[in-house]
Amino acid sequence: MKDSCSSVTKLVEKYFDGEVTDKEKLLVEGHLQDCSACQDALKSIEGLRTLIKTPVEEAAEKEDFPWVWQKIEREIRSQEKLTWWQTLRSWLDVSPLLRKKIWVPAVATLVVLLFITGQIIFRKTPSYPDSSVVEYVESGTNNVMIYNLEKAKITVIWVFEEPGEDQTSS
Amino acid sequence: MKRTLILLILIVVVSSFFLSTAYAQVQARLRVIRASNVGQGFDPSLRDVHNELGSLFSFTSYRLLRDENLNLALNRPVSISAREGRIILETTLVGLSRGFAEARIRVAREGTEILNTQVRLSPGRTVLIGGPRVRDGVIIYALYARF
Repeated sequence: MKDSCSSVTKLVEKYFDGEVTDKEKLLVEGHLQDCSACQDALKSIEGLRTLIKTPVEEAAEKEDFPWVWQKIEREIRSQEKLTWWQTLRSWLDVSPLLRKKIWVPAVATLVVLLFITGQIIFRKTPSYPDSSVVEYVESGTNNVMIYNLEKAKITVIWVFEEPGEDQTSS
Repeated sequence: MKRTLILLILIVVVSSFFLSTAYAQVQARLRVIRASNVGQGFDPSLRDVHNELGSLFSFTSYRLLRDENLNLALNRPVSISAREGRIILETTLVGLSRGFAEARIRVAREGTEILNTQVRLSPGRTVLIGGPRVRDGVIIYALYARF
């Protein structure tokens, strides 16, 4: 009995935690029916657990965990937040382009490109008087008249063809 | 690698923007009108130029043959034919500046050039090119640029 009691006592705590096998469970439960010392041991474990568990649960209930997590996340974000300049620098520093010094020719190419296109876009043009709409007129076969109607902003270029020119028409 | 790709794309996009701006096109509208003294009347589509045509010419009848929207790109000629291809007007954008576009216009009858001119098209300006004979009348081209 004593041997049995000493071997079951080792299992009582595991039994209380539900960590025993089915065989061990049958053994412990069978023994507990007859052994008052082991029953007392089980009761004392129960009492001890209740003593520890109750205040922890009460404290946890009082604590607002979502709020705590929000606070932690906010703190992490504030530490991680960089200024735009720091962001740009870190971004450029990491870029393999900078390390390889490709930036210099790339920027130079861009500047040249901007210069060339800028010349085309913003090139100065002579300010013609509005009347010189027609820059030139040529006709090897007919007389041509140019007429400007400045008020209506209309320019007429008239080709004088002989009446018989469209003889092929149906 | 991802950042490198983004940078390259950025450079290409910026360059493309400037290049496309530099080589921008000009939208133009070309109307081909047949004016004659046979019959009377104004094509309803020409209502907006009724007064101008009436004050400039003494024809009794105006009929719209074609109304074309042209995309004029630098040094790329655009041809519009009339009278079943016997009369061809060819427009080429040769210059583009802020406020006006320069266009070279050639009119040919059956392959023979009857007019070669260069005009400056500015906002609100209409260039009328007329005179090529057709049966009972003449052809008038009305050219406007849209900026």
